[in-house]
Amino acid sequence: MRRTVPLLVAATVLTGALTACQGDAGTTSGAAFDPATCQGGTLSVLNQGGITHLDPARLYTSGGGNIPSLLFRTLTTRNRQPGEAGTKPAPDLATDLGTPSDGARTWTYKLRDGIFFEDGTPITAADIKYGIERSFAPELPGGAPYLRDWLVDAAGYQGPYKQPDGIKAIETPDDKTIVFKLRKAEGDFPFLATATQFAPVPRAKDKGVDYEKHPISSGPYMVASYEQKKSLSLVRNPHWSAKSDPLRYACPDKIDVTSGLDAAVINQRLVTGAGQDANAVTTDAVVGPEQLAQLGTGSELDKRVARGEFPSTTYLAFNLKKKPFDDQKVREALSYAINRTSVVNALGGSAVAGPSTTFLPPQAALGYQPYDYFPAGDGGDVTKAKQLLPAGGLSIELAHENDDANGLGPKVAAAVQNAFKQAGITVTLTAIDSATYRDVTGKPATQPALSLQNWGADWPSGGPFLIPIFDGRQIITAGGNFNLAQYNDPAVNAEIDAINALTDPAAAAKRWGALDAKIGKLALVVPLTHEKDVYLYGKNVKNAVPDGWRGQYDLARVSVK
Amino acid sequence: MTSPPAAPTVPPRARTVWHRLLRDRGFVIGASIVLVMVAVAVAAPLLDRAAGQDPNTYHDTLLDSARGGVPLGRFGGISAEHWLGVEPGTGRDLFARVVYGARVSLGVAVSATVLQVVIGVVVGVAAGLGGRFVDAVLSRLVDLVLSVPSLVLAISLLAIVPPSWPRPALLAVVIAVLGWGGTARISRGETLSLRTRDYVAAARVSGSGPWRVARREILPGLAPPVLTYAALILPTNMIIEAGLSFLGVGVRPPTPSWGQMLSTATTWFRADPMYVAVPGVLLFLTLLAFVLAATGLRRVLDPRQREVLR
Repeated sequence: MRRTVPLLVAATVLTGALTACQGDAGTTSGAAFDPATCQGGTLSVLNQGGITHLDPARLYTSGGGNIPSLLFRTLTTRNRQPGEAGTKPAPDLATDLGTPSDGARTWTYKLRDGIFFEDGTPITAADIKYGIERSFAPELPGGAPYLRDWLVDAAGYQGPYKQPDGIKAIETPDDKTIVFKLRKAEGDFPFLATATQFAPVPRAKDKGVDYEKHPISSGPYMVASYEQKKSLSLVRNPHWSAKSDPLRYACPDKIDVTSGLDAAVINQRLVTGAGQDANAVTTDAVVGPEQLAQLGTGSELDKRVARGEFPSTTYLAFNLKKKPFDDQKVREALSYAINRTSVVNALGGSAVAGPSTTFLPPQAALGYQPYDYFPAGDGGDVTKAKQLLPAGGLSIELAHENDDANGLGPKVAAAVQNAFKQAGITVTLTAIDSATYRDVTGKPATQPALSLQNWGADWPSGGPFLIPIFDGRQIITAGGNFNLAQYNDPAVNAEIDAINALTDPAAAAKRWGALDAKIGKLALVVPLTHEKDVYLYGKNVKNAVPDGWRGQYDLARVSVK
Repeated sequence: MTSPPAAPTVPPRARTVWHRLLRDRGFVIGASIVLVMVAVAVAAPLLDRAAGQDPNTYHDTLLDSARGGVPLGRFGGISAEHWLGVEPGTGRDLFARVVYGARVSLGVAVSATVLQVVIGVVVGVAAGLGGRFVDAVLSRLVDLVLSVPSLVLAISLLAIVPPSWPRPALLAVVIAVLGWGGTARISRGETLSLRTRDYVAAARVSGSGPWRVARREILPGLAPPVLTYAALILPTNMIIEAGLSFLGVGVRPPTPSWGQMLSTATTWFRADPMYVAVPGVLLFLTLLAFVLAATGLRRVLDPRQREVLR
């Protein structure tokens, strides 16, 4: 997932799975949470990242996002459970996860009964098809690129404004049925169908780029007022019914989102909890050192913290086309020399990051298989690194972002620089403006030889984690490239195709893990850390349980009553 | 200067000035602190060797990683090895960083001030001695420099400069280029008043060219007010450097500067108060010392000001 497209889901929204939270389940009272009696009150959302585009075609989310998911129902959605169960998709507008046929090249969905837009119009298969078609319009950029690649003959489609005939590969034989024809087998289709591009859009209400001013809701809330990048106020959608939507509890009567706040301010307000802040949560401000220092001490704050893990890896990316990283020995030397403890501390300590020796983060849903081919211990193996290095040491440049907001900034770069210095490697740091960082690293012509990168999962599966990074056919010379090693092995590409055809996530996960473990031997990247997420919530907030998909509490399920 | 024409009496006057300065308590206290700071900055590598520390070495074992990376132990991890504790998040020795930070903070402020004085005096004297046209052009230029919102411009300038340029030198130049207007104004005013003096007129009549007049007759008379002014703008320059580094456009990590340390310390002020206190107190002390010294200098050198101040 491209972290440079935070949208509603600002960079740190990316959160994760499992861990402690099942136990304390976010309930302050100790009584079991009952979704039937949780209704009422106003929930405040205090965020750093502004809402740039509230258009389902333009949002780039994992699992439909947190705030967007309050407005936009999709064919499938994330399961919204803590732990492993939460890494699975669940039916949303559809009755099931879809029926694959033709070797997972055709996916057929049936829609539920009793689903309506906020104006009372019933939602039909044509509305979903139209929503997807709009996301192809060049006027509405920003969404994930998968559909363009997967659908038959859709790569050149220019959207319904220029080509009203639509996409032939999406068929709607009747109001309740929608069929997708793919050009290759994609067992992960039910995961992709959680994206906001799969939300229905009524053609009659589409105003093109202005649609985002008041997108027509299919979810439990609708827009009362919206100011780009500043605020969003949501009220109940009278035509949504809990019967048709068992996963969203929709407890608060009203949800007010305020954006553009400083992370330290947000967390301080959550700690203090004065007035309406007692009903506040955040979807993008992970706790800072101030709060971490107060946690784990048996304080009252310990009861108001949700810990999850969004599958995401921070790593050093080599460009194998450039010296000296064409030499595997040099790459191995750097893998031995790295000090992951320093990197963890630079990111905010062991509460928010853990050391990684694998590219896949440690989530079973992704197929994680532990391996450590270049054991560096916690502090790096300087002796081993020196043995592999050419005599006379090594002098290299490391590109990084110029600020620390995305975890790819000067702090982490300086920690890497210090670790390599111990092994006699001189590192010159090159800061690149974070707004253009991915443009520079994503174009092979301008790509630095070594850069600091991170990668998060568009959905909890090994595919979206490994394919953009290691599939040789994904080396994009025009820009937007993530295969920074520029690694192209036909055997690996063939294995990727074979796993994509699997419709059993468990079987696929096993092979993704094996593939990662195989590629890891080549030291194409130096995995540094995986993400952990710690979010506070207000005193009156209940059921703030992080789901396994995003590692974050779900606004559709928290209560302030 | 309003003191009597005194070009030939410089040696005895310098001595009386010195005596008066030593009797000024504010100046003595301020100047002593400044001297200590300068000595620390100059001797930074020696001091760090004495402490057995290096400003850029990480000490992960001294941090409580689970609590966000705060230093283990009391008062920010103060110990026999780490005299002022360690930096949270990295474990770098705070004493070593503060000592090296003094180099940047003082170095940038002093270089910027010297540059400001040089540019300001040259422009001011040229305007004062040159013809009406030269004066008009240079004075408008000074107006322009004075009216530019310098901090905002400095931020934009520094933000677009490639990161490979040497940062401290760049900071000094940017601060100087945006801040020489005051020195130029003072120099011009003094030059205009000095050029009407009899001894200057005498020098001109006896055939001295403008260059020689400026050097031999005007500059000695300019020295007291300009030096006083320089001592007052030096702490301002230090604040600007700290401010720019605080805002992230100053020196680049891992180079330490007090302003930059304060900037990273803002998120730690509750978890690790020592980390804020160390650069904060040092910056405060140094600024106070400069202001004390400058005020003392002004009291002694400028009798007019002495009357006003009392």
